[in-house]
Amino acid sequence: MKKPIEPILTEIQSARELQKRIAVLERGAVREKKARHLAEKQLERYTLEIYQTNQSLKRALAFSTKKQFELEYLGKTSMGVASELSLHEMISNMVELTCEYCAAEYGFYFVTEDGVEVQKVENNVWSKELGWQSQCKLQNLVNANLPLSEAHVLESWFVSAVNDEAQDFAWVLYMNFALSGNKLGWLAFLSKKVSVDEGIFPILATARDGLNSGIRRRLTDVNILERNVQLQDSVNNLESAKRQLIQSEKMASLGQLAAGVAHEINNPVAFVRSNMEVFKDYLHNYKNLHYNIKSELTTHKTLDMKSFTALCEKADLAYIDEDSTALLTSNIEGLNRVRDIVENLKNFSHVGNTKLIQMSLYKCVDAALRITRNVFKYEHQVDNRLTDLCPAVLGDLGQLQQVFVNLFINAAYAMQGGGELSIWHTEGDQRVIIHVKDTGSGMDEETIGKLFIPFFTTKPVGVGTGLGLSVSYVILETHDVQVTVDSEIGLGTTFNLSFPVSI
Amino acid sequence: MKGIIFVKFNEFIEELWGDEFWDELLEEAQLPSEGAYTTVVTYDDQELFILIGLVADKQNISVKDTQFAFGKWVFKELYNIAPTRAHNIQDVFEFLYAVQDFIHVEVHKLNPYALIPKFQFLSRTNDKLSFQYLSPRKLCFFCEGMVYGLAEHLGQKIRVFQSECEYEGGQCCVLKVEKV
Repeated sequence: MKKPIEPILTEIQSARELQKRIAVLERGAVREKKARHLAEKQLERYTLEIYQTNQSLKRALAFSTKKQFELEYLGKTSMGVASELSLHEMISNMVELTCEYCAAEYGFYFVTEDGVEVQKVENNVWSKELGWQSQCKLQNLVNANLPLSEAHVLESWFVSAVNDEAQDFAWVLYMNFALSGNKLGWLAFLSKKVSVDEGIFPILATARDGLNSGIRRRLTDVNILERNVQLQDSVNNLESAKRQLIQSEKMASLGQLAAGVAHEINNPVAFVRSNMEVFKDYLHNYKNLHYNIKSELTTHKTLDMKSFTALCEKADLAYIDEDSTALLTSNIEGLNRVRDIVENLKNFSHVGNTKLIQMSLYKCVDAALRITRNVFKYEHQVDNRLTDLCPAVLGDLGQLQQVFVNLFINAAYAMQGGGELSIWHTEGDQRVIIHVKDTGSGMDEETIGKLFIPFFTTKPVGVGTGLGLSVSYVILETHDVQVTVDSEIGLGTTFNLSFPVSI
Repeated sequence: MKGIIFVKFNEFIEELWGDEFWDELLEEAQLPSEGAYTTVVTYDDQELFILIGLVADKQNISVKDTQFAFGKWVFKELYNIAPTRAHNIQDVFEFLYAVQDFIHVEVHKLNPYALIPKFQFLSRTNDKLSFQYLSPRKLCFFCEGMVYGLAEHLGQKIRVFQSECEYEGGQCCVLKVEKV
């Protein structure tokens, strides 16, 4: 019996569709499987990449940490070197930092001279736990392993194996550096670690260079300090010599003036003495009068006016009374003159301390003229136009008096045979200028150029020291005085001294 | 092109025309990858263009419309994996700026070698925005579809068109978005 065709066709159709569907799903499954496989492969690659990246990051981190540690060490040692720490403090700082950097148990600093340890300093061993302390046994252990007998600077850091079964120290790292004289400073670091990381040596070499430069700088600083002290001593000696020179020259001027000054003193002394002789006679007269009055009273028991007048006339009492007053006045004047001269000499010869105080130039010039009066007395005229109106300046009276005395002596010497000395002042720009003019022989350009050179003199041997004007110049410089000289041969010379006005 | 686009294209095709149509496309296309797509692998761009071309042929629609439809459909898929910050934006224009300012920046962080399109903004008013679409892949219609998908997601009505398009002889592709 035949089956109907339609259901069969439908069945076939369904089977085909089913097969098609199965094929689609199978292909889909294949694609899904392949995609999953691809994804897994990709995941593996990502995982590997992440692992490698992680490893690389770990290495970079370790490298960075090491570099940071190295930089920190170098930074701190450099700061110590560049700081104002003393030599000992800087080296101690270096020991502490290096001990930590190379992970040593102990750090040492000591000094040798000709191979022998010197300066047994207390607490010269450092450890992180205990700080600075004394460790004789450890020091001996280090000394035994270092080439201390070699008295030269090592060119780098060195490591020596240590045979120490007692405390298990394995190696000592060391270097040395030159100190002053034949001394060598030594740094040593004792460690129990089995091996030394060679990577630390370039860093230690850099730190060593820095330390050496720091030591050189500090030793140089000490030298400079010593030289400064010497220089200051020299300056002080020079200052003292200058003061002595000024005083000597002052005394030399005084020597030149001595004869004149003696004459100045002699004159009043002579007339005072002469007057005193007269007073002696007058006293004799008074004694006679007294005697006569006593005799008259003894004889007559009385003295009338007539007899008294006669006795007085006999003793010339009226004249004596009148003359005595004149003589006493003259004596006082004479003694005042002596007193003034002595006073001026005292001021002149006084050792000044170069302390500048407010003073009158008028009084200073007047005193100098009094001292030198004798050199101008007979053949010269002195025209001193200075008055109290001349502004005050800051100065040392004795020293400036010396300057004017020198100028006046020179002026008198230039005016041998007579002439006129004129002194006046002008003012301007907060300065007062004292002009000292003579009508002497004058000077040529060459002489003017050498005026203030020490030991230059135009005077014959034995007359001048050649130091007068050079010393005067030094004094004027300390007073901030500017000096100019106008001179014409045969007509004379004018010195112009420009002082800053004291406000 | 990143595998996520191919995986999403697969889902898009299967949603519209079924897995048999997808199988048919792959059987016919004979692609180097054999259609074994996974999100973590990168595939040749050309495979997508071949598949889009086949869809257009078989469904009797233009390539432009196919790109547009896929772009509109795929927006919500990509939105879900976009940075959370993007989810706070409620305006189409703001979102397009955010695409340029940080969404693509984040994509670049995760995929340093990804070829990401650039938007060069030309003008903006309250309701009009104009920008140039710059990508060697020339998926400007796909981009148009994405903008539509964005507006639909945010509940804004817009019109998107290109005032200039490389497919129509232009120097570049300029997209104009108008709120309506």
